[in-house]
Amino acid sequence: MTGKPPTIPVTVVGGFLGAGKTTYLNHLLRTGRSRYAVLVNDFGAVNIDAGLIAKHDGTTMTLTNGCVCCSIGGGFLETLGRILDEKIPFDHIIIEASGVGDPWRIAEIALVEPSLRLNAVIVLADATRIAALLADPRVGDTVRNQFERCDLVLLNKTDLTDANATREASAAVAALRDGTKIVETSEYTMPGLPQAGRKATSPFRADAVPDVADHEQRFKRWQYRRRGAFDRAPLETALRALPPQLLRLKGHCTFAGDSGPSLLQMVGGDWSLTPVEAAERDILLVGVGTDDLPDPAVLDRILDRALATPPAFDHHGGIQSPAISIPSREGQIPCR
Amino acid sequence: MHADTVIFSARKIVTMNPSRPLATHVAVCDGRVVAVGGLDEIGGDGATLDDRFKDKVLLPGFVEGHSHIMEGMMWTLPYVGAFDRRSPEGKLVEGLPDIEAIVARLQEAEAAMTDPDAPLYAWGFDPLHIGSVSLTRQDLDRVTTTRPIMVVHASFHISNVNTLVLKRAELDRTTNISGVVFGTDGEPSGEVQGIAARFRVFRVLGSNPLSGNLTIDDVNRYAASACVQGVTTITDLHNDLADQTVEVYRAASRRDDFSVRLVPALASVSHTPEQAVAKLAVLKATNNDKLHYGIVKLVVDGSIQGFTARLRWPGYHNGAPNGLWYIAPEELPVIVEAYHRAGIQLHIHTNGDEATEVAIDAVEAAQMAAPRPDHRHTLQHCQMADAAQFRRMKALGLCVNLFANHVYYWGDSHYDLTMGPERAHRLDATGTAQRIGVPYAIHSDAPVTPLSPLFTAWCAVNRISSGGRELGKATEALTVQQALAAITITAAYTLKMDHLVGSIETGKYADFAVLEEDPFDVAPEAIKDIAVWGTVVGGRVREAPRA
Repeated sequence: MTGKPPTIPVTVVGGFLGAGKTTYLNHLLRTGRSRYAVLVNDFGAVNIDAGLIAKHDGTTMTLTNGCVCCSIGGGFLETLGRILDEKIPFDHIIIEASGVGDPWRIAEIALVEPSLRLNAVIVLADATRIAALLADPRVGDTVRNQFERCDLVLLNKTDLTDANATREASAAVAALRDGTKIVETSEYTMPGLPQAGRKATSPFRADAVPDVADHEQRFKRWQYRRRGAFDRAPLETALRALPPQLLRLKGHCTFAGDSGPSLLQMVGGDWSLTPVEAAERDILLVGVGTDDLPDPAVLDRILDRALATPPAFDHHGGIQSPAISIPSREGQIPCR
Repeated sequence: MHADTVIFSARKIVTMNPSRPLATHVAVCDGRVVAVGGLDEIGGDGATLDDRFKDKVLLPGFVEGHSHIMEGMMWTLPYVGAFDRRSPEGKLVEGLPDIEAIVARLQEAEAAMTDPDAPLYAWGFDPLHIGSVSLTRQDLDRVTTTRPIMVVHASFHISNVNTLVLKRAELDRTTNISGVVFGTDGEPSGEVQGIAARFRVFRVLGSNPLSGNLTIDDVNRYAASACVQGVTTITDLHNDLADQTVEVYRAASRRDDFSVRLVPALASVSHTPEQAVAKLAVLKATNNDKLHYGIVKLVVDGSIQGFTARLRWPGYHNGAPNGLWYIAPEELPVIVEAYHRAGIQLHIHTNGDEATEVAIDAVEAAQMAAPRPDHRHTLQHCQMADAAQFRRMKALGLCVNLFANHVYYWGDSHYDLTMGPERAHRLDATGTAQRIGVPYAIHSDAPVTPLSPLFTAWCAVNRISSGGRELGKATEALTVQQALAAITITAAYTLKMDHLVGSIETGKYADFAVLEEDPFDVAPEAIKDIAVWGTVVGGRVREAPRA
């Protein structure tokens, strides 16, 4: 039909709690090359570097790249209505389904609203537990329903599963119905938006994160474990001194004089500390970096400068050696 | 006695205070009860004797522990449900037994409208109550083909629209979404439900009549309905408490003539626990005699008759698939513990017994992690709980607010379709709660069912369905005394307000329900028919409007 304004593509992102929906939406927002409107359930979980935020009014966040992120908290229908009423139409609307919701029910909006068209329903699955969730007597039916009509499954957190477990998770999802497209991802290998009509072999367009989506990216892990505690001010200096190749650092630590442990989270240059309930009284941090991440010993020395007491010896009688590229992730803190 | 003291005399005062159950006089000063007893005991030198209630029976003002402000918003629209209801003006609005009667009432409402383009909204329809007959677009087209019509079901989840709305929304035989129902002619029947169809319909109607901004008139209508039914403390048990709502509640509740104590529950779904705790701290600082913030509502599953409640094995009697989680079972303990640690009282909606189990597990875990005496977390509805679950509730200090009205309104559906005979007999198991010793209230969930604690008490005493079937009468029915406690002092207990309201007792608010008859004198089948003269709230007499 002629004369009709162009329709706005809609992508719905579903998946059970903890599958990585927010991580994916954060990624899309940060790397968005056209003007996305992203509707999210938990506004607080959206984690965008302050430098990328142009405006933030409590329920709507406008980024410097033109993307907008809206909280669904004030009512989903009202929020979506507001997005459609924007004077300059968005290039793409991305809607996060709730962790227990059926994404197809939301996708149906794009089938009946003439100004919209459905681009894709993407469902994320946590590779570490999707098989267990599908078999769970309480939530199995909820989780299975989410995959019923999806176009693409992102089998996520495959950096936390070994090859066998990944295969099993993939098989569990594939068994739900014929022809399910499954792409393995991790927090650091999130794809861009699939474009409807593209060949199945390359469902993603070029993405702003280099070298991530198109080939097997190699990452280096670094684990820093010490008895004892940090001093606060020297730690700030030390964190600033860490090299840019370190993409992320997370774990818990204690401070001299403080009563309880804190959760340290650093992404890029931004870091935060929050008190946590943890039995662990020592320091355990796990870092992930690009594959030119400097030698662990170099990184260790940077953080050691912030220790309140000299490096403590563990019960094996030596300074615990930092580990890299641990094949089994057992005992690690998941990086999310 | 202080010169401002007023002593009300009555034919009988049922205090619900076990240490002084009956009286003939109550003295009131500064909005509170200063003495209860006989005139000789009270004395009364210097006080004013008010004998306007000398032929009436006073009870503590009723406490509705689970209803919604929407009751005050619906009455600007025509009611088309099957059962009689009383409006805030005190008018008896007759129930409509069939489609013809519904069409006639809509025609009447349509004729009274002045703006030819304004949509006509109506509410309260439930096909289950008129022999499972659908309301079609053709029926509604007989009302008008030039004005949009939308009839919202009693469940509030399904609507019926006329052909004009379908045309404008471009919903036709090619539409392929789950929420658009088709008629035998292959065209949409006019029944729409689900998020997509609702979105589309509200887009073309220009508004959602149920999500407009709350006004002071809505709140006053709610208070008027309360007065008509003898209610002096009422909840609004799920509200985002947006700034505009908070402002309206503040303004309404500060008026001296505002005739009900309002207890809003903050909806957990629109906040993280951290945000909610911070918000409640701010709101609680604005509490006054008639506005009581502090509680939080969680919704775990859907409804039984809508087949969205979560049931344990063997599930729905008719084989329907299990219902929906609105909060994931693994997320609930995290949320519950956060509020529990913050000292907040939770009201947890669980209809199905699987949802109830998950809620009990969550409270148990919170109690293990952070033991807290007298938390009084309350399971709301909790319609399918069995004795074992009630025993766990007792052990954990949980309260329950049972949906007694369901026995009447959907008892037949539960017997035939959803739960089957055995489980339907222990639907809303008030008798079990009584035997095991779980503090229990009973409620209406108005506007889902009519606001009327005397009717709710009648349901719990008689346990009879609208089709005439007794359900658990021998095992789960309450005595009149027990049922009255469940709409007064125990309902107040579930709101942590039993030190303020729920009995007529020295020191408490002078809140009374003024009845024409004594509930202990009439036949148990007649409790629902006792006329309510009005209320007294904080010593202020308010005669119910009669239209």
